[in-house]
Amino acid sequence: MTAAARETGFGSAESAGEGSSLGSKATTLLLALLVVSLCLTPFLLVIAISFGEKIEGAAWRWAFTFDNYKRFFVGADWPNSTSFLYLSHLWYSLYYSLVAAVLAVVTAFPFTYLMTRQSRRRQTLWLILFLSSMSLSEVFVVMGWDVLLSNRSGLPMVFRESGVTEWLKEVGWFQTFRDWGLANPRDLRFKPTDFATILTLTYLVWPYAVILLYPALARIDAAMLEAARTMRAGPLTVVRTVVLPLTRTPIIGAVLLLFVFLLGAYVTIAVFAPPAKHTLAISVYEAVRGMTLNAPFGSAQAVILLLTAATLLVMSTRLTRKAGRSRR
Amino acid sequence: MSDLTLDSIAKAYGAIIAVDRLDLTFEHGKLTALLGPSGCGKTTLLRMIAGLDQPSEGRILLGDQDITQLRAEERNFGMVFQSFALFPHMSVADNVAYSLRVAGVARPQRDQRAAELLSLVRLAEFGGRRIGELSGGQRQRVAIARALAQEPRVFLLDEPMSALDAQLRADMQMELRLLQQRLGITTIVVTHDQREAMTMADKIVVMSKGRAEQVGSPQEIYHQPANSFVASFIGNANLLAGVFDRGQVSIGAAQFDVPPDMRAQAGAPVTLFCRPERVRLHAEAPLANGLGGEITFVRDVGPSREVHLQTDQGHVMAEIPGGQGQSVKVGDLLFAELPAPALRVLPGDGGDCRA
Repeated sequence: MTAAARETGFGSAESAGEGSSLGSKATTLLLALLVVSLCLTPFLLVIAISFGEKIEGAAWRWAFTFDNYKRFFVGADWPNSTSFLYLSHLWYSLYYSLVAAVLAVVTAFPFTYLMTRQSRRRQTLWLILFLSSMSLSEVFVVMGWDVLLSNRSGLPMVFRESGVTEWLKEVGWFQTFRDWGLANPRDLRFKPTDFATILTLTYLVWPYAVILLYPALARIDAAMLEAARTMRAGPLTVVRTVVLPLTRTPIIGAVLLLFVFLLGAYVTIAVFAPPAKHTLAISVYEAVRGMTLNAPFGSAQAVILLLTAATLLVMSTRLTRKAGRSRR
Repeated sequence: MSDLTLDSIAKAYGAIIAVDRLDLTFEHGKLTALLGPSGCGKTTLLRMIAGLDQPSEGRILLGDQDITQLRAEERNFGMVFQSFALFPHMSVADNVAYSLRVAGVARPQRDQRAAELLSLVRLAEFGGRRIGELSGGQRQRVAIARALAQEPRVFLLDEPMSALDAQLRADMQMELRLLQQRLGITTIVVTHDQREAMTMADKIVVMSKGRAEQVGSPQEIYHQPANSFVASFIGNANLLAGVFDRGQVSIGAAQFDVPPDMRAQAGAPVTLFCRPERVRLHAEAPLANGLGGEITFVRDVGPSREVHLQTDQGHVMAEIPGGQGQSVKVGDLLFAELPAPALRVLPGDGGDCRA
């Protein structure tokens, strides 16, 4: 090394930088290959298979046909007859996921807000509780609610045995439950209903909603809320005029993330949803693994579910951004 | 008019006492500074006045009205926070008009009032800006305008200058003082900066460990400190431990004449107090109240010079006008004269010397 190079230290630093950048390039390339092969390959395969052909009584073969997509939108027998069965599955996928995601965020918001106003220690305890509850699998959660809502041994039994059902009949509210589909002629009945489905889906993602909202709510400067109070704003006004506007983006983000997550819910729908209201997750599974063993059609459904979710995500982010701009 | 009165107000956090049974009166239309080192309870006191913290004991009265139980949103006290706490999701004008929006005032009146207030704090053109586009000094003015928008009964400021740089701070102190005098609003400023308190306040409350050490005008606090804590916290002070006897204070072998109105019990330990600018330096021993010593340090700050002397009685600091012929060098022997009219006798709790 020359004296000048030693003096400035540049020479050595540069040559070392070149060596390591070559190494880091190789690492990056390797990582990229790994990610592409692990994530993209199955995804591309699904798209490719969705154009395949089912062989009656056997497996399927590669092809390039739009029959699977046609079947999804208008039924296999079109144009002789039309069926919107799979569109209705798609509709129920979106419906359950969106309602449950919104409910989870709307109910988690006040809870999380109050949580962030407590001492650090308490906040940590709550967070640990929620993080650990995330380890409960969907199967586990559904099992619990299945018992709790079951007609023979769950809440309907409790209501019947405690006389609440009888009392509901006397005051006439039982009819309301019947109108909502939450009762048979004699007893309350929660399974299978939309109510049980949405309740369980909401429960499933509720801890996620808290964890997603927590950082934004915890970051709000307490002095800002106090300043609002000194300017005559009561607690609800503070939430409406300061907390909500400051956390609007995280709230929408949480709804979208949970919505996409819930599109894939399977066990909850299988156990709690009325059969006529099953979702695409169920029918994809049935096509691929169930009686029919029709992988191409299952793949086509999966692709459509994915595209719908992606379109909705893009649209909602655009709308949010536009709303944000127009408010300025 | 309606003075704000604290009646034996106290705040305890568990075993820790933040504010210890204070009785204070904040006169209507006057600016009072709560001055003290950090942790002395001044911010806690301000938060209790604002209604953001509940006192553990005591009452807060505004005129004849007991407001102890009123929540912050019911008090109509404007407050400027240390961090300013402006709303980043609103424009400057909307920040200023926030209290009016909460009160249900219609948009046109709101905008008009915001414009008035912004011109009051000399930010007339800034109404449409985002908070993120403002400098620290501009943010502070927005915070002041916002707190004044509701025409508060009392105006509270918590360390309002701490986020500003030194030059801006000096300007804003004057500006805030002039604004307060123009509006004639009862104002309480929390600060740990004695210059800030001296610049702005009609009355200063010097606090330490949850207690008020002294309440008085800036001049009183400076020239007639009640004890050695106040003397050393406000400006520089020579504090020498001695014993009081027959109108004199003896420090070691030296005797000091003190003003005749300064009294203490004979033989009581006292602290002798003298501001450095009242100390005179002589080449030869003065007739009375002199202390001989060696110069240990000279700080020349332009308009004045600080000369530190090590004497047998302790460390003495003198502040003399700068740029004069008198030669002072480290190592020289000089005599410091503490003239009798400049001396005060404080309770003997002080140490040897604090300068």
